[in-house]
Amino acid sequence: MSGGSISLVDLTKRFGAFTAVDGISLDVEQGEFFSLLGPSGCGKTTTLRLVAGFESPSAGQIRVNGEDMAQTPAHRRPVNTVFQNYALFPFLDVFDNVAFGLRRARVPKDEIRRRVGEALELVQLQTFSKRRPARLSGGQQQRVALARALVLKPAVLLLDEPLGALDAKLRKQLQVELKALQEQVGITFIYVTHDQEEALTMSDRIAVMSNGRVEQVGPPREIYEVPKTVFVADFLGVSNLMAGSIRGYDEHGRYRVEVGGFDLRAARGAHSLIGDVKVTIRPERVRLQADGISGENRVPGTVERWVYLGNAMQLIVKLANGEAIQALIHNTGEDSPFAVGSRVCVHLPEQALRVLPVSASSHSGTTSGTAQVRERASERRPSSVRSGVNETLVARTGPAGE
Amino acid sequence: MKAQPLSPAPGAAAGLLRRLLQRRSGPVRKPRVLALVTWAYIAWSIVPVLIAIQFSFNAGRSVSVWQGFSLTRWYWGDPVNSVWHDPALQHALIQSLKLAGLDMLVATPIGVLLALGLARWRGYGARPANFLMLFPLVTPEIVMGVSLYLVFQYVFTFIHPSTAAQVLGQVTFSISYVVVVVRGRLFSIGRDYEEAAADLGATPWETLRLVLFPLLLPAVLASLMIVFAISIDDFVITQWLSCGAGCDTIPIKIYSATRAAPLPSINALAAIMVYCSLAAVVLAFVCYKLLTRSESSADSTQAAISSVGAFDL
Repeated sequence: MSGGSISLVDLTKRFGAFTAVDGISLDVEQGEFFSLLGPSGCGKTTTLRLVAGFESPSAGQIRVNGEDMAQTPAHRRPVNTVFQNYALFPFLDVFDNVAFGLRRARVPKDEIRRRVGEALELVQLQTFSKRRPARLSGGQQQRVALARALVLKPAVLLLDEPLGALDAKLRKQLQVELKALQEQVGITFIYVTHDQEEALTMSDRIAVMSNGRVEQVGPPREIYEVPKTVFVADFLGVSNLMAGSIRGYDEHGRYRVEVGGFDLRAARGAHSLIGDVKVTIRPERVRLQADGISGENRVPGTVERWVYLGNAMQLIVKLANGEAIQALIHNTGEDSPFAVGSRVCVHLPEQALRVLPVSASSHSGTTSGTAQVRERASERRPSSVRSGVNETLVARTGPAGE
Repeated sequence: MKAQPLSPAPGAAAGLLRRLLQRRSGPVRKPRVLALVTWAYIAWSIVPVLIAIQFSFNAGRSVSVWQGFSLTRWYWGDPVNSVWHDPALQHALIQSLKLAGLDMLVATPIGVLLALGLARWRGYGARPANFLMLFPLVTPEIVMGVSLYLVFQYVFTFIHPSTAAQVLGQVTFSISYVVVVVRGRLFSIGRDYEEAAADLGATPWETLRLVLFPLLLPAVLASLMIVFAISIDDFVITQWLSCGAGCDTIPIKIYSATRAAPLPSINALAAIMVYCSLAAVVLAFVCYKLLTRSESSADSTQAAISSVGAFDL
């Protein structure tokens, strides 16, 4: 099994007056785990359905391994789908469900038996082959759906929120397994999700979508660390967004930005922004210090709320300029010195402060992809971080069947 | 019970009192009045039928005075007047079963195909067409009957009042019931299975044969039984398109016989009709339950009741 590549060219889908997918262009490479991430209604599922062939595009191309498949009916496309609700045939047992596609392809009987066996082994369901789907748990059904699609050795596997119906614990576990499985079989995955954590942990690259357009494409770390639009900054994790305006540059080339009467230095953001901007900082990068300390990028404030999260404490601090800002403090076991009502000094490190253009790039799909942002600090993701996690799980089973 | 001041024993009285008091405690009271009204209605609607059936077992010739019990006299025991031996009654029974059988065989396949088309038709006209499908269900049957009669009389003059005309008439309005039941099932199973089948490489024809048909089977069986039940029961249309005595069905026979001098054999005929309808509905329910048992159980009972109950629209 080797993955195929997918290219979407100006893909558009309109339902009457409503444009669900608004001219998106994406390239998904061979063997890539590619996620479409966005809130509900952003067009990610419609995009997936267009690739699968369940909807006909209003305009644009869908190239699978270079060949335009936009007009090819679903049953002739070399892609397979894992549905959100699995869509396992209730009247067939697990074996027949997995064998369904092979039988349609007129694969000889003994080869069907061998390949279904291998696929079920891959998802660790060998002993369940005679069960009906109704007698399987949600997680098991999900695996059957996966086996049913993988057994056909598709060029690309499409997954529509496949973990959405499972409980949190199982979801975490299957995230890891799914990623390991993908690396093992080498099939290109296009994975639709609204869960940013899921996308961040599993993907090689993520496309963040909003209103039928792609806001930003990049590896997880880049998407999180270097958001190019307010939408991306806000959708991935929690961001503090403050209105500000550019006052120029200082001698180190940093932005001088005025936020509610305070003059701050921001080291991150696109070149040559002017006028009104949004200034953003992740809650975990906000530092709280004792009241009275003064210095660069330090703003006085009052602790307004204090929320215990278990592994961390979330504080909502009202700045002197009236803006409320979230700060996350790790739970080290010591009592926090910052009680509700106490005055603190909020340090917004310049390296964590990012300047973003006010109007998100949602007016043109292309700006987010190319024109913008040559990043100051080069932020390359060390790839060893993720693969280290998966190493232990990969070596579980043999290849899916060559 | 409350009105009975003299209780058999003081212990029982205390128990009753406690229960009455307990009834008032707690935020949710049992819907006693609702239950009472419901049971009163059920009794009111069923008792006449039960009495009619009872007289089909009368040992004498009266349909109003009970003269003793005879299990078989009016069904087949009486050598002249029983349903089995009276040629007119026997013919009515056969004619009814013949019409019902033909109606099932013709209306169900057409209705299933129509439902498939209507449920999966996206675009202009789908909505009105779906709505108009209910039209035969709400049209007064007398209007439908007389219209069909006039159409056959003046437009399609090659169709004479006959068994064939009766089948055509019954099919015309039974299709709607089939469509309603099957379309409901199609909506409840959604498009996912079809898409999954196509995704796995099944052609549209294979999808229909291998995926949709098994999923629709319970609804198809339910439709068959419903068509049977409404065909057996139909009077107005069947009468309008009747060719005379040779086309008389059970309802027509009962109607005309009751106006003359009825014998309990008429009750027996009516009772047979009730048995057949009941059997059809029970069979439909059981089939639906059995065939959908692999789906989530709570849903399937509901769906079975609603789809089998659909003929009472």
